[in-house]
Amino acid sequence: MFGGLREKLRAARDRLGSSIQAAAVKAEPAEKATVDLPALPVIAPAGSAAPVLSSPTFVDKVRVLITERELIVSEKDVNEALSELEMTLLESDVALPATDAIIDSVEKNLVGRHRKIGESVDTLVVHALKTALLDVLGKGFDLKDYIAKHDRPVKILFTGVNGTGKTTTVAKIGAYLKKEGFTVVIGAGDTYRAGAIEQIGVHAERLGIRIIQHKEGADPSAVLFDAVQYAQSHKIDVVLADTAGRFHNKANLMSQLEKIKRVMKPDLVVYVDEAVAGNDAVTRAAEFDRTVGADAVVLTKADMDSRGGAAISIAHTIGKPLMFLGTGQAYDDIIPFEPEKVVDELLDGGA
Amino acid sequence: MDQRELMTLQNYLQEYGQQAEIFVQQLQMLENGRLEAHAAIEALEEMLTAEDGTVLLQIGGGASVRAKVIEPEKVLIAIGSEVVVERPNKEAVDFLKERIMEMEASQKKVAETLDRLRAQMNEINKRIESGYQQAMASGQMPG
Repeated sequence: MFGGLREKLRAARDRLGSSIQAAAVKAEPAEKATVDLPALPVIAPAGSAAPVLSSPTFVDKVRVLITERELIVSEKDVNEALSELEMTLLESDVALPATDAIIDSVEKNLVGRHRKIGESVDTLVVHALKTALLDVLGKGFDLKDYIAKHDRPVKILFTGVNGTGKTTTVAKIGAYLKKEGFTVVIGAGDTYRAGAIEQIGVHAERLGIRIIQHKEGADPSAVLFDAVQYAQSHKIDVVLADTAGRFHNKANLMSQLEKIKRVMKPDLVVYVDEAVAGNDAVTRAAEFDRTVGADAVVLTKADMDSRGGAAISIAHTIGKPLMFLGTGQAYDDIIPFEPEKVVDELLDGGA
Repeated sequence: MDQRELMTLQNYLQEYGQQAEIFVQQLQMLENGRLEAHAAIEALEEMLTAEDGTVLLQIGGGASVRAKVIEPEKVLIAIGSEVVVERPNKEAVDFLKERIMEMEASQKKVAETLDRLRAQMNEINKRIESGYQQAMASGQMPG
């Protein structure tokens, strides 16, 4: 997963590290020269207006170079490496606002930092990259925790465009929740696509999950209303509502989704798209969020996505957390999105 | 094997078929992207050697015009995230070559998944066939 991005981040990390290292080497002769300066006051006497003390940068440098034997990472040291990092992120399909946020954060974390001689440059760089990535990835979304803290049944409505693996995702999340000890009912709300009811029916049967379904072409709001009623009367923990794939510019399908929302009153609206769609997935998610709203996002086919752009940028760009990543064909090929874990993997578990 | 079991297998087959169709589409999209990138590399390299910078510019519908590229050394290239940057010709070619490698790696992964799906479909097909044969032998045709 995200192998290409991992490699590129590794290169960017090395590049940043070597830039800082080169600056440190350059600073060595300056240190020797500074040591020869006679009687430079390290600490300013209170209230002193001596000219040498009116230049805090100089004093700071002296203090850092002589007293504490540290180096300051300057903007100049990392500028070029940061531009390369920026290109790397854009080439990996990380959205522009997310790229900007990462670059700003890395810069803030590095520039002006007092690096102690002996402290590993790599530690410094990895820390800066990690902080930046965690900032844009947000906190993720713990579904188990959400269900535990809300009234049952928790109603989850799945939306998204055609062919991204929405129905399979509903089945996978059903399997995940069942494994975690929750009771689940699936509402076969995709009454539009030929064979969709059978498809989700097959999944439900395999997983031993109850499914509520009507005939093809039936009103999806009615199906999902029935699913909620069933869950209420049978004290089921979670209702997973599948819906037809739709494009945000199809007015009739979007108004149908509005009706579904009015009728079943979902606690969560989850937008499903594929990670391989890259920046398109981010744009579509933003559009869906604007028109019908979304509380969380699931990205499918993450195992086939080498760039990782959508996964990195979606939470930051639309302001909604990433909940799960789909990583294969089997029911248990779905992983809760945990930012710390993803960042550690991207940075090779570094520092 | 009873009728219900046969129906379930048919449903599995249909579901796998739909999934396979999506992967085939994806494979086709990747192939188109790969060929397009190859064509772009060829054009960029030719542009540098073209006499007085004149090239044939396709304008769609099979029509082309002779066009003079003012700066064949500078290429505007979409690098992702809807961002277009100016790069020297050589760097743009390198970038496209890297993209081709990425697409080929993705193609390989999609093709592997597709193979797995097809193997599963074959397996189901065999079971359906033997189910039908059993039904025929016992004089019951599943409807």
